[in-house]
Amino acid sequence: MRGAYDAVIVGAGHNGLVTAAYLARAGLSVLVVEQRDRVGGAASTEELFPGFLFDTGAHRVGQLHPAIAADLDLARHGLHVTRTEPGVFVPLGDGRHLQLGDSSSSSSDSIRSFSSGDASRWPEFNSFTRIVAGFLSTLNSMEPPTVPGPPLSDVGTLARLGLGLRKLGRREMEEVLRVLPMSCLELLDEWFESEPLRGTLAGVAVQGGIHGPMAVGTALSLLRRAAESGTGSAVALLRPRGGVGQLSEALASAARAAGAEISTESRVRRVLLREGRAAGVVLENGTEISANRVASAVGPGVTLLSLSDPAALEPEFVRSLNAIRYRGASAKVHLALGELPRFEGRPENGSHLNGAISISPSLEYVERASDAAKYGRVSAEPYLEAVIPTVSEPALAPEGKHCMSVLVQYAPYHLREGSWDQAAADSLADTVVDTLGRFAPNLPGSVEARHVLTPAAMEKKWRLQEGSVFQGEMTLDQFFFARPVAGWARYRTPIDGLYLCGAGTHPGGGVTGTSGYLAARRILKDAKAGKT
Amino acid sequence: MGRGYAYDTIVIGGGHNGLTTAAYLARAGRKVVVLERRHLVGGSTVTEEIYPGFKFSVLSYVVSLLRPEIIRELQLSRHGLQILPLESTFTPLHGDYLFRGSDHDETRREIYRHSPRDADAYDRFGQLMYRMALAVKPILGMVPPDPTSMSPKDLRGLLRLGRHFRDLGESDFYMLYKLLTMSSADFLDEWFETDPLKATMSASGIIGTFLGPRSPGTAYVQLHHYMGEIDGAFRAWGFARGGTGAVAESIASAARSLGVTIRENATVDQVIVRAGRAVGVALEDGEEIRARTVVSGLDPRRTFLGLVDETELPQDFVRAIRRYRSMGSSGKVNLALSELPNFTCLPGHGDHLRGAISISPSQDYLERAYDDAKYGEFSSRPYMDVIIPSLIDPGMAPPGNHVMSCFVQYAPFNLNGGWNDEKREAFGDAVVTTLSEYAPNLPDAIIHRQVVTPQDMQDVFGLTGGNIFHGELSLQQLFFLRPAPRWADYRTPIRGFYQCASGTHPGGGICAGPGRMAALEILKDGRR
Repeated sequence: MRGAYDAVIVGAGHNGLVTAAYLARAGLSVLVVEQRDRVGGAASTEELFPGFLFDTGAHRVGQLHPAIAADLDLARHGLHVTRTEPGVFVPLGDGRHLQLGDSSSSSSDSIRSFSSGDASRWPEFNSFTRIVAGFLSTLNSMEPPTVPGPPLSDVGTLARLGLGLRKLGRREMEEVLRVLPMSCLELLDEWFESEPLRGTLAGVAVQGGIHGPMAVGTALSLLRRAAESGTGSAVALLRPRGGVGQLSEALASAARAAGAEISTESRVRRVLLREGRAAGVVLENGTEISANRVASAVGPGVTLLSLSDPAALEPEFVRSLNAIRYRGASAKVHLALGELPRFEGRPENGSHLNGAISISPSLEYVERASDAAKYGRVSAEPYLEAVIPTVSEPALAPEGKHCMSVLVQYAPYHLREGSWDQAAADSLADTVVDTLGRFAPNLPGSVEARHVLTPAAMEKKWRLQEGSVFQGEMTLDQFFFARPVAGWARYRTPIDGLYLCGAGTHPGGGVTGTSGYLAARRILKDAKAGKT
Repeated sequence: MGRGYAYDTIVIGGGHNGLTTAAYLARAGRKVVVLERRHLVGGSTVTEEIYPGFKFSVLSYVVSLLRPEIIRELQLSRHGLQILPLESTFTPLHGDYLFRGSDHDETRREIYRHSPRDADAYDRFGQLMYRMALAVKPILGMVPPDPTSMSPKDLRGLLRLGRHFRDLGESDFYMLYKLLTMSSADFLDEWFETDPLKATMSASGIIGTFLGPRSPGTAYVQLHHYMGEIDGAFRAWGFARGGTGAVAESIASAARSLGVTIRENATVDQVIVRAGRAVGVALEDGEEIRARTVVSGLDPRRTFLGLVDETELPQDFVRAIRRYRSMGSSGKVNLALSELPNFTCLPGHGDHLRGAISISPSQDYLERAYDDAKYGEFSSRPYMDVIIPSLIDPGMAPPGNHVMSCFVQYAPFNLNGGWNDEKREAFGDAVVTTLSEYAPNLPDAIIHRQVVTPQDMQDVFGLTGGNIFHGELSLQQLFFLRPAPRWADYRTPIRGFYQCASGTHPGGGICAGPGRMAALEILKDGRR
């Protein structure tokens, strides 16, 4: 039977909205159902305290897949992304500090006070990351092949991949293949000696995961960030004017303009199955919405094990779904500040507050922070990345006041002792404020209100399994053709008409909309082929 | 023939790989001399009587990877090689233990005692690893093709590799990919729940690496543990009668019988290069030996940064070798004992002492041991793989006495403040203290203690950074990248100069694969 809609999209996160926009543009009738009272999911800007607007989830965006910005004309829908300069400021608490950004020269100057060798290598490092980032962008913007023994349909993909490598030239190709499986430590050992620089890059590499910078695969995370920045820089900070939520708003507006409907406060209870194929969704309030296909921007585990009936799946597939590792280890702490932090050595309200503020004095500091997570504890001295959007956009807070959002590593979802109750959340916030206070003594006294998002809270708020902000670890074994599950990396699922379009699919992570874009392409291909 | 030279080929270093290369070249009619710096051959594969009457396998202590075709082709059994099976693994705990022996049903019952679920998973897991080992074997046996090259030879190799992967089938290919990229802890968590079982199994994934069981990449090293199984030559672990030195001696004897000259106490100072071609070597005492071909059995860093003048090498290559990681993480403690250790959790001298004794009570235990090393300290409570050779081969110790071999992790080469006699003894104490917590009678039974630190491994055995594999077995240093891009086929940028040891594919362990494949490549060039 024909559904009321050609497609229903579960979840109005940025990926879900991208999928919706593309399907609607192709002439499909599309309904997006969102559990919350707003669109955006983990890419939202919310008023946590009267007059204070925070990027509650992601506080940075990546370079959108080039096609998206063009096709959806997001500028017209109010998206204006800016790159901060510097990208990151690293206080050391003893008056010294490091500043890195797109401007290679000023970064080098800042690095020089720690190591002249590192300063001279910095531009070379950036051209190196640009080369690898170029390859990763090719990789990230393509639908993963099914390996091994490509059926004819995949020869093209593999050829593109091969070409992406070949066009690098042999030496670069060797480098790419060599560095991809490295640990961040191994990669940085080949480049830099100064600890603040190593620590800051290591911090970038571990965001959102549970591993430390000495773990294999973290070099890839660093290089992926470089790829997401659009310029090949691993330390760039991209932010939409008005907050990360503006990206989602623009996407929603574009989707609506293309004819998609968006229904908020519509939490999906389960995916409707008819004769073994997806035929719509049932909302918590019992409403049935029939559709010819369903695309879920929620994670693979939630979509296929909670929202659908595992009994409809092969045991082997269920087993691999259960084997996906999530292990969220990040928390967000949002602080309403009465005044800007005055950092040792940089007390003024200067440009150094424009970008991210990284508490990463050394690579070992970040690694030690990760040790706690291995044993199910919160880091006593966590790695932090904070942003203060109100420095460039005062309107996001009441007159003279400021918003500070802090990403905290590590706060493991799975605690060995106790659970993520209010007490645990409060002590996490205390740890964060105390840690920042060691670098900016005036900060603790200037905190007027604070809001904590523990991994457990993120799971509840955004249906992020185990609080994993990437809907599954971004490790080598859950990468490319193995994301979310080896053999099912092409946005389809074993249930006909049920697709995945969230960060749990390739390329995952980061706010780039690529998962949503590639999923939409797959859905439209299948629709054309009459597969669904 | 030698063109007036005394020899066709000079092999630098009498380790098991150097000797293997020499034997294979001689077998093909080449006139070969092996130059060994020490007073005995074997390199890291030696047995030495460190204390009167007690024979220690000073460094490497078990044989699990020695290629059966080499045993066959060099007729090593005829030359005295005798592998005695090490069939069990005993993991002492406080108040309990885990024992896995050769008797399948007994092992199953024992695991069942800890977890019925794991008992079922154990067999399926064993079958899977067996299958995975079969999948890897042909890759270990091939000269690595370079995916960045357009040469017909490399493209042919890549095609072979591609076909191999396709023939694996989808599910096995993905499983292999998981093994290459996952941590052994995560991989085992998908199968088992018994902590000591997981810890003891994942321990084989950290041996020789600077990684913890929760570090991605360790699952693959763990797979190597199973390689021995599939050849049917012997089960997973074996022990050579007379200690591991006997392995090297049997290869040396085979080499001699094929006409190879072996000179001990002959330290090579430089490889002589004329017009970009190796023409011989200069010894420390000034003697010069000429030959058409020179082969290095030393690790890549010593070979290319020590034996030859850098100006003879391309800059890219030198850079690659400089960044080639060779950080040691393990130590060795050899004990001469007046009596056997008596374990509190399983008293007496039963079969549990005749195999491997693994100090790996839990995953956290191993991970904490690793944490110490990450920050430059040796593990205060280290992981240990212990065997008592004298129980299997009474000839290793005087009647009634015993030798105990303890492989210990972690002992970082870059110890805070560096290694010295004091630190060495402190390390030895940590080992004995840890063991005595399980076998209280041990300290008083010790007649003599030999402690080998990573520093000693470098100083005495010439292993750069004390790395037992001639360089870490991390993905970026395997296959076509070992030891450096474009030079993973045993050749070097210098014509007539070859590499034949663990720093080349397929890497470390007493496997002699590199030695054999290097010889075959050298002979190919000779025919051209």
